[in-house]
Amino acid sequence: MSHPPNVSHLPTDRLAALSDESPTATELAHLATCADCARERAVYQNLLEIASAESARLGAPLTTWERLAPALVADGVIESGRPLPMIVRKHHFRGHWLQAAAAVVLLAGGMVAGRLTAGATVLPLRASTNRAASVADSVPRFTSIEEARAAQTQSQLTFQTATAFLAQQDTTNGDSETPATIRTRLATLDRVREVVGKALNEAPYDPVINGYYLTTVGQREATLRQLNTALPAGMRLTSY
Amino acid sequence: MDHEPLIIRRALDGDEGALRALWTRHAPHIDMVVRRLVGGDADLAADIAQEVWIQIFRALPSYRGDSQFGTWAHRIAVNRTLNALRKTRRLASLETEVQEDSASVEPDNDRTFVAQSIEDAAAKLSPGARAVFMLHDVEGYTHDEIARELGITAGGSKSQLFKARAKLRKLLAHLIDVKDIGISGKELQHVTSTERVAPAY
Repeated sequence: MSHPPNVSHLPTDRLAALSDESPTATELAHLATCADCARERAVYQNLLEIASAESARLGAPLTTWERLAPALVADGVIESGRPLPMIVRKHHFRGHWLQAAAAVVLLAGGMVAGRLTAGATVLPLRASTNRAASVADSVPRFTSIEEARAAQTQSQLTFQTATAFLAQQDTTNGDSETPATIRTRLATLDRVREVVGKALNEAPYDPVINGYYLTTVGQREATLRQLNTALPAGMRLTSY
Repeated sequence: MDHEPLIIRRALDGDEGALRALWTRHAPHIDMVVRRLVGGDADLAADIAQEVWIQIFRALPSYRGDSQFGTWAHRIAVNRTLNALRKTRRLASLETEVQEDSASVEPDNDRTFVAQSIEDAAAKLSPGARAVFMLHDVEGYTHDEIARELGITAGGSKSQLFKARAKLRKLLAHLIDVKDIGISGKELQHVTSTERVAPAY
């Protein structure tokens, strides 16, 4: 700030305060006649606006689930899939059985979606009947609920991790991954979330619907992050 | 339509997928809060963010749903981050700084530094000044709330804030400077009615 000779300006601390405090009558009179102070006050108001907008800015997480999950297990927050303390699980047997089924549906759905987005047919039976049979042979047979549940959790994590990895690393569709296409995906996921969310309201304990809902929410957040990294440098997404 | 209560219920039921969904949904916001308060030390921020999430999930059984989960988790993130910074003694001198009303920012030995964002610029502030600025101007805390969180007075919080703004004003000059400015019509009206008040400068 330039100071003309023989003119006292508002102190810097006071100008900084005036971005969100009201000036006194005396200060106001000075601001009306001093372009320097009025400009400085406006600059501080700009700073405040930028700071307010900062609160809505999203950023890449500092944490990863792969690092966080073992820490949660070590801390006892996740006890190998057991409920958190003080919470009693209901419908024990039925829930596990249905969740195992949900994992299969999720995986199958993901595979079908993956094939479709890759431009392949859903069931390439003719060329790979033998392979499909050998895959079927390798499907594990569970002997206990715990075993099935552990496999289900592992499968779900593997599926979600692989999807997230492919979303960030697979460049085979690089040219088509423009901000516009990612926005389209985001809008689609929003619609899916809404539909599945309504279903969840009617059947809150349905594990299949729950599984789809969680997957959709997860994919939406991953896409949101992907969109942020796809935007030009300096542009951040706070809404779309 | 928000179905987060259902996800929380499933998380309480020990569903790791639901815990992960909560993390996935809120990490971009919660981790940003940690990053802002910590400043430029990315490794420290990552460690604290990990602690924050463990604390959030550990405290989940006590979540009553009185506020949005994000708001509740945000409070934990702020509190936990400030505690972690205290442990590393990065906030230890804050009270002294404020009481003595000494320079609340680090020596300005980087005049050529041009910040690209609030986050970059705030990383140049002292930990105490950064905490006050981030909590007040970015996160919307009041000076009373900041005073409680940091163990200082509301006046000390204000003093620290104005000094932080002054420093940021310099670092972000290229983003926030204005050329022509006038005061608002409403304020002009007020000036006219009080024009007999002589400036005491």
